[in-house]
Amino acid sequence: METHAAEKIRIEQRFPSWRELLKPNTNFKPGYYHYSFRISDAKYLELPFVREWSPVDKDWKLPPNWKEIFLTKMKEYLEKFRSFKLFMDICVRCGACADKCHYYIGTGDPKNMPVARAELIRSIYRRYFTPAGKLGKIAGARDLTEDVVKELYYYAYQCSLCRRCSVFCPYGIDTAEVTWIMRMLLKEIGVVHRFSLISIASSARTGNHLGLLPGGIAGALQSVAEDVYTITGIEIEVPINKKGAEILFVAPSADFFATPHWYVCMGYLMLFHEIGLDYTWSTYASEGGNFGTFISYELAQKLNAKIYQEAERLGVKWILGGECGHMWRDKHQYLATMNEPAKNLEDPVSPITGTYFENAASTKMVHIAEFVADLIAHKKIKLDPTRNDKWIVTLHDACNYARAMGLLEEPRYVIKNVCRFFYEMPEHTIREKSYCCGSGGGLLTEEVMDLRMRGGMPRAMALREVHKKYGVNFLCTLCAIDKAAFPHLLEYWKLPVAVGGMMELVGNALIMKGEKERTTDLRGEPLIRRD
Amino acid sequence: MIGIIFGVLVPYIAFAIFVAGVVYKFIYWAKSAVPLKIPTTSGQQKSLKFIKRTIYDRFDSPFTKWETAVRMILEIFAFRSLLKNTRYYLDRLSQKDARWLWLFAILFHYSLLLVLIRHTKFFFEPVPSFVEMLSELEAFKGVFIPSIYVSGLAIIAALLLLWFRRIFLSRERCISLPSDHFALIVLLAITISGNVMRYFIKVDISAVKGLLLSLMTFDIAKAVEFANAIEPMFYIHFALGSFLLAYFPFSKLMHAGGIFLSPTRNMPNNNRAERHVNPWNPPYKGITWQEYYEAYKDQLDEIAESGYKVKPEVM
Repeated sequence: METHAAEKIRIEQRFPSWRELLKPNTNFKPGYYHYSFRISDAKYLELPFVREWSPVDKDWKLPPNWKEIFLTKMKEYLEKFRSFKLFMDICVRCGACADKCHYYIGTGDPKNMPVARAELIRSIYRRYFTPAGKLGKIAGARDLTEDVVKELYYYAYQCSLCRRCSVFCPYGIDTAEVTWIMRMLLKEIGVVHRFSLISIASSARTGNHLGLLPGGIAGALQSVAEDVYTITGIEIEVPINKKGAEILFVAPSADFFATPHWYVCMGYLMLFHEIGLDYTWSTYASEGGNFGTFISYELAQKLNAKIYQEAERLGVKWILGGECGHMWRDKHQYLATMNEPAKNLEDPVSPITGTYFENAASTKMVHIAEFVADLIAHKKIKLDPTRNDKWIVTLHDACNYARAMGLLEEPRYVIKNVCRFFYEMPEHTIREKSYCCGSGGGLLTEEVMDLRMRGGMPRAMALREVHKKYGVNFLCTLCAIDKAAFPHLLEYWKLPVAVGGMMELVGNALIMKGEKERTTDLRGEPLIRRD
Repeated sequence: MIGIIFGVLVPYIAFAIFVAGVVYKFIYWAKSAVPLKIPTTSGQQKSLKFIKRTIYDRFDSPFTKWETAVRMILEIFAFRSLLKNTRYYLDRLSQKDARWLWLFAILFHYSLLLVLIRHTKFFFEPVPSFVEMLSELEAFKGVFIPSIYVSGLAIIAALLLLWFRRIFLSRERCISLPSDHFALIVLLAITISGNVMRYFIKVDISAVKGLLLSLMTFDIAKAVEFANAIEPMFYIHFALGSFLLAYFPFSKLMHAGGIFLSPTRNMPNNNRAERHVNPWNPPYKGITWQEYYEAYKDQLDEIAESGYKVKPEVM
């Protein structure tokens, strides 16, 4: 009989010479490269050069003048993005970023070092946009060839835009920005991956990444309300598309369907009901997340514009946003720049506590953790943290709201009030130094599973430490991609730890008026009390 | 002849290239748009009153202009981001603080600053008193004879340490381009020749000062006179220095200027409080509510009929 021994995972580090590093690597490994777009999505989004192609083909069927397009567009983006131009010029290759990238740590592939990833395009910049580039290789410059395009595609989609390297860079060079522009340039010659485009096309058409139609959203919210009824005995009416509501609530669409996002959605409904919030869901602006931000400026704008449009149509005063990672990079740093805030919006003031959210005065959009922390601080909700006793909790700071927003203490404040056992992971792996789950930035797709599992290794090892030391059995994260990615990652690294959101813990602890005695948590599992 | 070429012509040309190059580079960067406000936040944002921000949070995640200015000052004068550096140990699957790079970088840059300040004595008559004082202090005047300037030796040590990183550490070797080695070699050659001149092969310092003063006042005839009087050893140092000046704006050394414009560091994290406007923001292209409504009319009308709400079906 044939037996299969478990395969040992090795991280093979290679240190090629700088000359070798300049040579394009077109040896695409399965588990690391992304599939090409679906024709239907690309056509719907009106991308250039829609055709059948595959990354493993020798011929990518690039347009005949692809090189000219690439370089013209590169010149344009150098003018449009100072970040790009500056980051092309000022890197000194000190190496501080190298071992900060979870993909580099996990794969050992030298081109996954943030500095090397940027050098892929920097070498092109030198060749075509600097005088020294004429010297060629010796100046670190190389010609733009089809192989280089293939390599750019391979590595631009091995970065999750987490910005961890940017924290450590002495000049603040942000690889997320460089990768973003590499992806934009590739898009211009018809080279885009499949995963994000599916969601972008759905969201452009239906308002959300999952492609849920209005009836589907209503049905999903109804089911969530039914689950809330089963556990609390309270019938909750859920407002949808309601004109004249005070607040528009926007969450990532995964909260309508996926697990453990579902429990978070229950948490929203329970809280809003309990405090009697005058709010509404929207089917048109039914997506907080924005996969457009993974590919280009225009696609990002295409998706996030709907939020202000809907806020205007419904006549709400301000907007509240749910638990999501890149959604908050988008809402905090992009939304109000890409679109002018709707005129009817007013300064965000909590109707329950009267707190004026000064830090959201212009964008008019408040994070759920800020909102809930404020409720707790004003003692406007009753909480029984012992209902979360089953969980020994740790918090994973999602990349985007940790490093592009600085939302660090609010979730901790809430969690410490709704559960009794909370432990931090090691200091170099939390807050602004938090490690990515390995699946962000458009990488949450099956075909790059190997990359994702390896990229998530540093996070998993940090979690293992607190799991062993304190028995942590619940990884709390306020990011929808994390909630989808971690269950696989933790299974892969053999960590028996549950994954869930902050609002699930709030929902468990929330004492509601007229509720029946709770015997289970929101997951339907029996309550355990530790003394 | 050497005097005229390397004492007068080359330095003038080099200086002109340096000034023009730096100005050009700043204009080149500044004329690109800043479409988005993208600070890298490394600390707690300003939000609710009871959410405390430590002093570090205020610098690392600045909300006001002043806080941003402090962040920039710390970045430029204390290399704050490098100070956070860690090293990942694969065998332990964890990371530890690693501040060697920070130390070498600080050692190099501050030595360079001291050396440059000391060199101003060649450009000013009389020499500013603080330059005199600083030189005496760092030389521990009276301890060694002749005085030994610590910064002049420290800079060589720092450059060697930085170079050894690139030679002996495999990861750094792999990412180092010839230009990275080249910059270090030129700097080493300049600093070593300077020290050699000071301690071993002496040159006529008063003639050097005369040359520089007359160069500065464009008194060419006098400059040529002084230039011809100076020993060749000086010109190794002086020509290399001139070369570095001309090389500076077009090389990675321009990081010194670039840091001021870095959008992840020089912008405050007040995105939601103050709107940032993109000069080339394109108009929205996509479906409107009307189109959406027409596409899913039945389902949307159904939601309207039930009073814009759903209720759980309770058995």
